[in-house]
Amino acid sequence: MKKSLTMKQRRILSAVFWGIILTVMFLICVYPIIWMFLGSLKTSGEFYTNIWGLPDTAQFVNYLNAWNEGQLGQKFINSLIVTGGSLLILIPVNCCAAYAIARLRFRHRTAIYFLLLLGIMIPSGVLGIPTFTVAMKLGLLNSHFGLMLIYAAQSISMGIFIMRSFFISLPKELEEAAMIDGCSRFGGFVRVILPLTKPGIMTQVIFNGLTIWNEYFMANIILTKPELKTLPLALANFTGKHSTDYPTLFAALAIATIPVVVTFILAQKSFIQGISAGSVKG
Amino acid sequence: MSTQSAPHKKRKTDLFPYLMCLPALILFVLFVLAPFFTGLYTSFFRWDGFDTMKWVGLDNYKFSLSDDIFWLSLKNTLVFAICVTIVKNIVALALAFVLSKSFIGRTVFRTGIYLPVTLSYIVIGILWVWIFNPTFGLLNELLRLAGLENLILGWLSDPDIALYTVVAVDSWKWIGYHMVLYLAGLQAIPQSLYEAADIDGAGPLTKLFRVTIPQLNSTIVVNVVMSMTGAFVANYDIVYIMTDGGPFHSTEVALTHIMTTAYKYSALGKANAMSIILFAIVLIFGFAQLKMMARDDNYNN
Repeated sequence: MKKSLTMKQRRILSAVFWGIILTVMFLICVYPIIWMFLGSLKTSGEFYTNIWGLPDTAQFVNYLNAWNEGQLGQKFINSLIVTGGSLLILIPVNCCAAYAIARLRFRHRTAIYFLLLLGIMIPSGVLGIPTFTVAMKLGLLNSHFGLMLIYAAQSISMGIFIMRSFFISLPKELEEAAMIDGCSRFGGFVRVILPLTKPGIMTQVIFNGLTIWNEYFMANIILTKPELKTLPLALANFTGKHSTDYPTLFAALAIATIPVVVTFILAQKSFIQGISAGSVKG
Repeated sequence: MSTQSAPHKKRKTDLFPYLMCLPALILFVLFVLAPFFTGLYTSFFRWDGFDTMKWVGLDNYKFSLSDDIFWLSLKNTLVFAICVTIVKNIVALALAFVLSKSFIGRTVFRTGIYLPVTLSYIVIGILWVWIFNPTFGLLNELLRLAGLENLILGWLSDPDIALYTVVAVDSWKWIGYHMVLYLAGLQAIPQSLYEAADIDGAGPLTKLFRVTIPQLNSTIVVNVVMSMTGAFVANYDIVYIMTDGGPFHSTEVALTHIMTTAYKYSALGKANAMSIILFAIVLIFGFAQLKMMARDDNYNN
């Protein structure tokens, strides 16, 4: 009797302990982001004196200022173009190659697969400077299209790895059925097989979309003309220029963050599944 | 009829699979392999990026290895990578354990802790620099309110501390990511193993070390390798935006030093030599990751 009571007490105690840890971690993760939004709505004076509290009256004008001064509208569109364009290139490219590697028999199949996987060993960090040289020789400096090709190329190893596992898991008879229905081989791939790998495609869209939207290192190397720069580049510039006007800077940060946070909260399930899909296999 | 056409068909190579792979191969060769070999090649030249290149043999490697700042940056990179790997994995694993039990509000916690993963390094860097601001920052204000004035530090201005401050911020960004991976790993452990352990009268600690950890082995390896490679070669943005290697090179990592060498001093040859040295160091982790991905039971199906 006495023992079971202590067991129960112990369980409650441990639940409280972990509950506190979890809550603290949650606040550490979320509060800075909330604080960023609060800061973006304060006046300059409030920003320094009222560090914790809510803004007196929300200064939405900060967003307008950030948008105008940093020409964030243009940068926002640049980021959309680069992210969207990269996805439009990398999704078909990765799907086609992964499909062939997963479901067709041909000579050098394994060799091609392992060659394309080598990208895992060559991180983009060490490729930065020579990519500048290559892009210069190809006339792709200061070109959104050039940056899209680079992003697409860097997504290949992981993308093909993920898509291949999706293609392999489909039943073998699908192609035959498509052929009987009068599809060409490519038509069968596009109309029958591809729709069945939607989760894999979503994984790629989310994973690469997020990475590219937030990417700084490569974009900074390839894009030097102000009117071509993407949002992360504009934000990095902003700190130098507006070191005194923090609410406006914070509004700029919020503008860059809102699209990803909203997308994440709406498409949470795909995010979480997508992230897990690629790496638990090992 | 069919016996006649079969050998004929066999001789003619079927181009379809190759055409399907072609775009990926072209992109990969142009923007991954070509830069890699360009980097390797130019590491044997003195070059400012524009004028003619001058062959210098292994001089760039010699210069790099006699560059004190480069050694310091390698040491910092290693310290950064090890600290970040330990913090991310231990915290993420602990959180995954707690979140693997079902309770009300579980999704809210998971969503919140994952949120920083979606933010750009640039946003995170600017935000946290301000949080660490000595006079107006959130952190010191919090310590003041809690009466812990003696804990107030020059988070980013003290050379002994700055690197660990950046470690904390990088961990903050990625803990949610690793937590999700560990959660998936935990959920993949068959419940029957725990039931069997219960029948054998195993306590919670025995279950942890005899069932959970061994079953989670491959997930742990994936997470450790990923955080290690990430910390070695993907730390430029966060360091650049928070400290740019300062104060006094105390947060200088290999990538920031390489970029400074390339752009400030226009020594592309030397910068590429340092990139190749860094590549050689991370090769072991990259190889481990490649091997894990290639070890795929259903490859021949």
